[in-house]
Amino acid sequence: MNLINGPMLKTLIVGAGMGGLRTAESLRRYKYPGQIQILGDEWHMPYNRPPLSKELLAKDQDLDQVSFPIRHDDLNAEFSLGDSVQQLSLEQQSVTLQSGKKIEFDFLVAATGLRSRKLVFPNNSQNGRFALRTFDDAKAIRQAAESGKDVVILGTGFIGLEVAATLKGLGCRVKIVAMEDIPLGLVLGESFGKEILRRHESKGIDFYLSNRVIDLVGDSAITHVKLVDGQTLTCDIFIEAIGSEANVEWLEGNELDLSDGLLTDSSLRAVKNNGTSVSNLFAVGDIARYPNLRFGLPPRRIEHWNIPLESSKRTAREIVHQILPGSIVGFENESGFNPMPTFWSDQFDISILSFGDLRLADENRLLEGSLDGEFAFGYYKNESLVAVAGVGMKSTIHSLRKEIAT
Amino acid sequence: MFKIKVDMEKCQHYGQCVYEAPNIFKLNENDKLEYLASADESERDNVKASADICPMQAIQIID
Ligand SMILES: Cc1cc2nc3c(=O)[nH]c(=O)nc-3n(C[C@H](O)[C@H](O)[C@H](O)COP(=O)(O)OP(=O)(O)OC[C@H]3O[C@@H](n4cnc5c(N)ncnc54)[C@H](O)[C@@H]3O)c2cc1C
Ligand code: SF4
Repeated sequence: MNLINGPMLKTLIVGAGMGGLRTAESLRRYKYPGQIQILGDEWHMPYNRPPLSKELLAKDQDLDQVSFPIRHDDLNAEFSLGDSVQQLSLEQQSVTLQSGKKIEFDFLVAATGLRSRKLVFPNNSQNGRFALRTFDDAKAIRQAAESGKDVVILGTGFIGLEVAATLKGLGCRVKIVAMEDIPLGLVLGESFGKEILRRHESKGIDFYLSNRVIDLVGDSAITHVKLVDGQTLTCDIFIEAIGSEANVEWLEGNELDLSDGLLTDSSLRAVKNNGTSVSNLFAVGDIARYPNLRFGLPPRRIEHWNIPLESSKRTAREIVHQILPGSIVGFENESGFNPMPTFWSDQFDISILSFGDLRLADENRLLEGSLDGEFAFGYYKNESLVAVAGVGMKSTIHSLRKEIAT
Repeated sequence: MFKIKVDMEKCQHYGQCVYEAPNIFKLNENDKLEYLASADESERDNVKASADICPMQAIQIID
């Protein structure tokens, strides 16, 4: 690596979300001496996404309710917003923006997160059609979601279920269509998922499971959706909540593995196709695909809120260590990046909390409580506990966390 | 010393803050958050970390 900016070295952070902001904060915390510039394609300063499907949507809150507080004096970082990065050149240590601007860097942090996946239908009308990833998305849904409207949500993941519950609370008629036969069944297990389904149905949400939307109906605006089983559902608002794709196109052409996010080593440094690590390119947050150290399984991305936080800290320490070796106490003994994932989800009065990596499990058991009330499940791989998740029972879930093998 | 304020309207009692500053935050036996309203300077970094990790962004440090 070549420190092209000499003593005024520069770290460029692409993506002005939580991961981007927290990287800048951590760099300052670890006494990084150079310049920091944060580039974002949204016009907004970094904000917190989880409320978008919950409080913000329910209460029609404004951006200031979800913006992260920033101490600009301490941060001393330049924000350039509303301009997306189009192309990285690792060789030239520079990025090119949509506006044509070119910016050079010494260190680059990729924190561009994900975008919602959208389907293409024979009638691909967009009017009345939504997805939820950004503040602007949430505002658009809220504006359309008047009481009495017919909402069809595609997908039974966390975001689909949360939006369903919130819009039901606003008086909409809500239907959910999904290919799965049990909501969250693949994530949380069959009995857990069935109970979630039961509770949503008891609140008046209609499910069309093991099913699929094959086309939209309506000329200027969507009026109905057609299902693969022949049914047609009335629909004013169609929301696609079928997962996401990583924003990695700007990294293409640099011999990186972009098959699912940006592949890194266990220090979050990008890995080239030939297996070598790039010492000045890091991935932070939802786009980082990092190795699984404990079970030796293929590297994976984890789309939970604490990952941007942990990965930004780790990346900042690594950068500062490269610039000022020895300045970070204990760095030499640091093991690979392997934090405990955690997430929560609120749907109606169902409050789900989880620790650990659920996807590792090959078996699950009800450990405490009963399905019709509060409960906690344990998830196992080769008989060792790899995750816990439950509804309510927060103290129990917290105490089980200690037993999780990470 | 500095003061700590948690917006109890926002707090959902997930307890993520507990891991960053176990001397300041805890979940009681009813799964509700309890915390100390002021702390010694030595706890400042921990409480900052709690404020960062709080999913509801409910924790405020008041100087
Ligand atoms: C509606 C919703 C609800 C959620 N609820 C929960 C929850 O309850 N619990 C939980 O654990 N997690 C939840 N999450 C997940 C959590 O919010 C994410 O894990 C987190 O936001 C990831 O942060 P990030 O910084 O990696 O990416 P992001 O927050 O997505 O930030 C990336 C930023 O980079 C920008 N960008 C992309 N490409 C470019 C480019 N080429 N040039 C410039 N800028 C670019 C993007 O526009 C975006 O602003 C939720 C997410 C959503 C969308
Ligand atoms: S992390 Fe935030 S929401 Fe969770 S218990 Fe602590 S203050 Fe409350």
